[in-house]
Amino acid sequence: MLQAQGRWRELLARFGLLLALVVMVVVLASISDRFLTTSNIINVLRQISVNAILAFGMTVVIIGAGIDLSVGSLLALVGVVTALLVTNTGLPVWLVLLLAVLIGVALGAINGGIVGYAGVAPFIVTLAGLTIFRGAALVATDGRPVSGLPPVFTTIGYGTFLCIPLPIWIMLGVLLLTYVLLRHTALGRAVYAVGGNPEAARLSGIPVRNVLAFTYAFSGFTVAIAAIVLTGRLNSAQPTAGVAFELDAIAAVVVGGTSLAGGRGGVWGTLVGALIIGVINNGMNLMNVSSFYQQIVKGGVILAALLIDRALSRRSG
Amino acid sequence: MNGTVLQMRDVVKRFGTFEALKGVDFDLRAGEVHALLGENGAGKSTLMKILAGVQPATSGSMTVLGQEVSFGSVADAQAHGVAMVYQELALATDLSVAENLFLGQLKPFVSHRALARQAEPLLAKVDLDVPPLARLGSLAVGEQQLVEIARALGHERRILVFDEPTAALSSGETERLFELIRKLRQDGVAVVYISHRLEEVFALADRVTVLRDGEHVLTRSVADLAPEDVVRAMVGREVLRFERQPSVREGAEPFRFRYEGPGLRPGTLELLPGEIVGVAGVVGSGRNRLLSTLFGVNGAAWVDDRPVRSPAEAIRRGMFLVPEDRKLMGLVLDLSVQSNLTMAILGRLTRAGLFIDHPAESAEASRWIERLHLRPPEPRKRVGDLSGGNQQKVVVGKALATGPQVLLLDEPTRGVDVGARSEIYGVLDELAREGMGLVVASSDTDELVGLCDRVLVFRHGEVATQLSRPLDDKEVVAHVTGARQVA
Repeated sequence: MLQAQGRWRELLARFGLLLALVVMVVVLASISDRFLTTSNIINVLRQISVNAILAFGMTVVIIGAGIDLSVGSLLALVGVVTALLVTNTGLPVWLVLLLAVLIGVALGAINGGIVGYAGVAPFIVTLAGLTIFRGAALVATDGRPVSGLPPVFTTIGYGTFLCIPLPIWIMLGVLLLTYVLLRHTALGRAVYAVGGNPEAARLSGIPVRNVLAFTYAFSGFTVAIAAIVLTGRLNSAQPTAGVAFELDAIAAVVVGGTSLAGGRGGVWGTLVGALIIGVINNGMNLMNVSSFYQQIVKGGVILAALLIDRALSRRSG
Repeated sequence: MNGTVLQMRDVVKRFGTFEALKGVDFDLRAGEVHALLGENGAGKSTLMKILAGVQPATSGSMTVLGQEVSFGSVADAQAHGVAMVYQELALATDLSVAENLFLGQLKPFVSHRALARQAEPLLAKVDLDVPPLARLGSLAVGEQQLVEIARALGHERRILVFDEPTAALSSGETERLFELIRKLRQDGVAVVYISHRLEEVFALADRVTVLRDGEHVLTRSVADLAPEDVVRAMVGREVLRFERQPSVREGAEPFRFRYEGPGLRPGTLELLPGEIVGVAGVVGSGRNRLLSTLFGVNGAAWVDDRPVRSPAEAIRRGMFLVPEDRKLMGLVLDLSVQSNLTMAILGRLTRAGLFIDHPAESAEASRWIERLHLRPPEPRKRVGDLSGGNQQKVVVGKALATGPQVLLLDEPTRGVDVGARSEIYGVLDELAREGMGLVVASSDTDELVGLCDRVLVFRHGEVATQLSRPLDDKEVVAHVTGARQVA
C-alpha cells in the first residue's frame, strides 16, 4: 500500500507536467470544438516555435546555474543585421545566414566569457547585454524596420515540408541537437556538473570557465536560429522585435521542471513547458478572452505549475 | 541530581516508504553525558532532529520534565530548553560571528556594538578568541564549529545535543570542547553526544545508547562496556582496529614536491611510491592547506620541477585530491553515482572526443562500484541519496578512476561509519601496495597512526616535526597540540 503510494508519487513527479498538459488539452477540447483540429494543433506548434527555440538554449544556460536575459534583444540585433546584410551587400543569402549564426554565437560567447572569466553575476552581465543589443539594433536601423528581403525568408517562415511548416521542423531540429548535447556529450555532462557544484567540477579537472562561456554561446546560437525564423515569419526585421521574449523563454524552462539553482533538468521538459504556455495562449484566444486577462491567467498557470511541481518532488529527509 | 529530564517512547519516523525509526525508546537524565551511537543511517540524527523540533515524529511520545510535549519548530524546542549543535555547520557565513550567535533573536534594528558586547561572554565560554564582528566565513572550519557551540550555549539549556561536534576539530580544540561539556554536566545539563569516535565516547560519556537500522539495541553505563561491545552492537559484527604493513618502495624514484602559498611557508615534500604520509596539525596549521596547494587550488606548487597551476594540470601530472568536504567540493549531489564516478575521466570515455561512449562509461562505473563495495550497487542512484560512507566511496572512486600516481586525501573518513571506514582503509592500503604514493591529512590521530608510514606535524604553516614508524598516538597528539615542541 505504502509502496504503491510511493510509486504513484514518483510517477506523478516525473510525468506530472505532461499530465497537466493533457488535462489542459482535454478541457480545451471539450470547451471549443475548434481546438483539437489538425490546423489548430499545427498553429499552436508554429506559434511556440520561436519561444521554444530560445528556451532550448536557455535550458542549457540555466542547467549551468546561469540566466540569459539578453536573448530578446540579441534576437532583434541578429535579425536586423541579417536583413541589412542581405539587402545592402551582394553577399549570397547562405553566407549571410551563416554570418547571422556566427554573430549570435560570438555575442553569446562574450556574455559567457564575462560571466566565466570575470566572475560577474550572469543576471547583471546579460541585463547589460539586453540594453546594449537593443540599442545596437536601433542604431543600426535608425529605429525603422528593414524589409525588401529575398524570397528565401518567406520560405523559411511559411514553407512546409511533409505538410508541416518549416518553423516546426527547425524547432524540432534544435530540440534534438540540444538533447544530444545535454545527454550524449561530455560537454553536456560538464554543464550539469558545473551547474550542480562548480567547485567539485573544478577539482575534477573540468574547465569550469570555458563550460560556462559555452552555455551562453550556445544560447546565442539558438537566438540566431530564432531570429532567422522570426524574420522569415514577419518577412522583415524589426529592431523592436523580441521585447520580453527572455521572460517567456525562462518561463518555459522553469515550467518544464529545470531548476533555477542549476544542475537539474532537461530539454524535453522545456518543450512541454513551451507547449503548456502555447496551449494556454491559444485556448484563451479561441475563447475570446481579452488579452489583458490572458496575461493574468498565464502568470497564474505558471505559478500553479511550479507550486504543484514543488509539492510533488519534495524530497524526503 | 539523577532526575529524568527526557523520555522518548516508541518513536517512529517514516520518510515515504522508508522507516528511519522503528519504535525507539530514549531517556536522558540531568547532569549526564549520554552517547548516542550507530552507523550512518542507524537513525541517530533523525531521532535528535525530532527532539530538537526540526521534524515531527510519525508516532510515539516525548516528555520533557514529566510534561508531554511535541515540538512543532526549533523555537518550540528551544523554549523547552532543548538545543542542538549540528554536524554540518548551520551558520550564515556572510554574517558576523556576533550576528550568527543571536540569529533568530535579532531585533529589527541591530547595534553592532551592543551585539559584539553580548557576544563576548559567549565566545569566552568556548574559549574562542576572534573579533565578534569578524565575518564568520573568514574563520577556519574548527573555529566556526566553536561559534555554533557558543550559539547553542546562548540560551538557558536543559538538554544539549552535539551531533559529531569534533568532526572538524583538531585534537587541541576537541580537548577544549570536552572540558566545556564536562562543565555543562556539572551544571546539571543533560548532554547527548553523537560521535563516530569511540575513544571520545569512552573519555566523556556516562551512558551509551546504540541504534542500528532504526532500532534500539542497547543502553548501558559506560563502565559496564568495552569498546568491542559497542562496535559489535553497532555493526552486528566484529571490527578490527586497523593496522597495516609498510609497503614503501625504498630506493625507488620519489615524487618531489615544492610548494608555497597563503598560510603555508615554502617547503618541499618527497613521497616514495607505496608510501603513505600523514599530515597532522590543528586547524589553521597548514594541514589542509598543504593538500589544496599541492593540487593547484591555491598558492603555487611544483612536482618534479614542473608547475602545478590548476587542478586540471595537477590531474595531468598524475595527482588527484579527495577533498575535505565531500558535499561542498567532492560531489555533484544531483547527479548519479555513475556520472560522479566518471566525472574526471569522461573525456576519455568518448567517441570522436565528443559523444559519450555509454557502454564504456557504465563498465567503468561498475568497476568502481564493485571494487569499493558501494551500497546499494546502483549506478543510476542520485549520489545525494547515499549514506555518508558511500558518498565518500564515490569520491574515492572518482579519484581512482583517473589512475593517479599520487593520491591526496583530506579527512578521508570524516563522518563515515565504522564499516565503511575500515573498507576505505583497506582500499588505501591496497593502493599503496600497488605503488601509489598517498598523502593523508587528518584530525583523527588513530587514523594517522594506523595508516601512515610517516607523519608530518604542521604548525604555523610549516612542518614542525616529522614522526616515523613506530607511530604512537599519544606522541602525535603531544606534537600536534604543541605539548612537545622539539623532537
